[in-house]
Amino acid sequence: MTIKDIAKKVFLIEILKGMTLTLKMMFTHAVTRQYPEKKRPPFPGFRGLHALVRNPDGKARCVGCGLCAAVCPSQCIYVYTSEGADHTKIVDRYEIEVLRCVYCAFCVEACPFGAVVLTDHFEYSDYSRDALYMDKEKLLSNWDKFMAGKKGEEYFDKFWRPRTEDFTTPENQPIFRGRRPEV
Amino acid sequence: MDILETIMYTGSSNWMLNIVFIFIKIAIVIGVTMLHVAYATYFERKVIGHMQVRLGPMRVGYHGILQPIADGMKLFFKEDIIPADSDKPVFKTAPLIALFATMSSLAVIPFFEGFVIADINIGLLYIFAMSSLAAYGVVMAGWASNSKYSFLGGLRSSAQLISYEVAMGLSLVGVMILSGSLNLSEIVKGQQEYWHGMYLIPQFVAYFVFVVAMFAETNRTPFDLPEAESELVAGYFVEYSGMRFALFFAAEYIGMIIMASIAVICFWGGWTIPPVLLKWVPALAAVPGIVWFLGKVYFHIFLYYWVRATVPRYRYDKLMSLGWKVLIPLALANIVVTSIVKYAM
Repeated sequence: MTIKDIAKKVFLIEILKGMTLTLKMMFTHAVTRQYPEKKRPPFPGFRGLHALVRNPDGKARCVGCGLCAAVCPSQCIYVYTSEGADHTKIVDRYEIEVLRCVYCAFCVEACPFGAVVLTDHFEYSDYSRDALYMDKEKLLSNWDKFMAGKKGEEYFDKFWRPRTEDFTTPENQPIFRGRRPEV
Repeated sequence: MDILETIMYTGSSNWMLNIVFIFIKIAIVIGVTMLHVAYATYFERKVIGHMQVRLGPMRVGYHGILQPIADGMKLFFKEDIIPADSDKPVFKTAPLIALFATMSSLAVIPFFEGFVIADINIGLLYIFAMSSLAAYGVVMAGWASNSKYSFLGGLRSSAQLISYEVAMGLSLVGVMILSGSLNLSEIVKGQQEYWHGMYLIPQFVAYFVFVVAMFAETNRTPFDLPEAESELVAGYFVEYSGMRFALFFAAEYIGMIIMASIAVICFWGGWTIPPVLLKWVPALAAVPGIVWFLGKVYFHIFLYYWVRATVPRYRYDKLMSLGWKVLIPLALANIVVTSIVKYAM
């Protein structure tokens, strides 16, 4: 043991070092966030509560193809359709069991029309399961509340791709593009 | 002013009046101490929180200032659970012994010039006796709970208290030699003979031993083995709940305050300030002694929190070897050197 080691032991150098560190830390700002008062904004593209997109004309964009329900790994999306006048497809019920969702956003990717989305809203705890079983009306109102207007459009561009136009054929690929216009 | 002086010096010829004054003093001391205990818990959580870059309690009142009151109310109204297999009379008396033994130490502590409930000549010995008695509460609680965790906690506590009591007693012998008295007020006055007004400087080895033994005596980190949360759940008071738990808790914090007061009285000059400081800044004489006393006590209580936030727990055999192989020889050497110096001078 050198003299240095002995001095270290006698004067408790290591402990004093630790104590200066803790004292220094006492005068730094705490990293704690006082949650309900000070909220941290979610990162852009955060996958939170579900919503059904409402078109500017006020109707749901969903056509009831059921791809979202097919791709959903936790199988928590239920789509019920029926045939209306003119053989159109009518979406009778569109329900998401939010408590079973794993927020993978596969439904968002699968949807060819960008009709179902995950908003960045994350504070929707409740006392009953029923309140978190979202039917079509609730999902549409979620869109109105959290994503309507410009924000939704931005999100579509940035995070909710791919959509139908991403799956179109490149311009230079030789395929039948309809009859050539006559000169 | 007349009444205040009589209360302070208990010098009235009417013995009935004297007893009334003593009761008033007791009420003041216990009231103030209990308030300090409540807010010691609050500041402990705050200080350790900030040292760990957290905030500590923030919800009850402004920055959680009413937290100890909320805690107290909660503990008061909690269900009192007594384990079916416990030794009930012992189980019920243990927290009372712990609390009363620590509380009675308050009687001999001079808070400022002349304000002491019992100005007895064996003050220091009395405090040793009382802090040893408090160990009975701990051991009885550990035994009566009939739980292996409490039992281990009680055993550890008894072993720890016995070994550190020796070191603590020996560390204060140096102070006794220098002041020539066991009366705490006399010890404070004896320190005024030095220009620095503290036994801390001639007795720094004793002070070191005392501080380490003080941590062990009050079961605080790094010597909190009797209540090691991670291994013994809570130690000797695992089975206690509600108000009985609160009594142990209060006893522990009063013990901290008393040990801090002893350190202040024996090494830091109690309610006085260094005479040299008084010579430079005569205006300081106007500040009441209780301010200095409390300031020094708060520093020591802060030291408890500071060390708790920094140092991890000792291993049990290391604790014992530190007590017996380092602190006691150090204290003995200190006594020898102090005696020689005192005799030679």
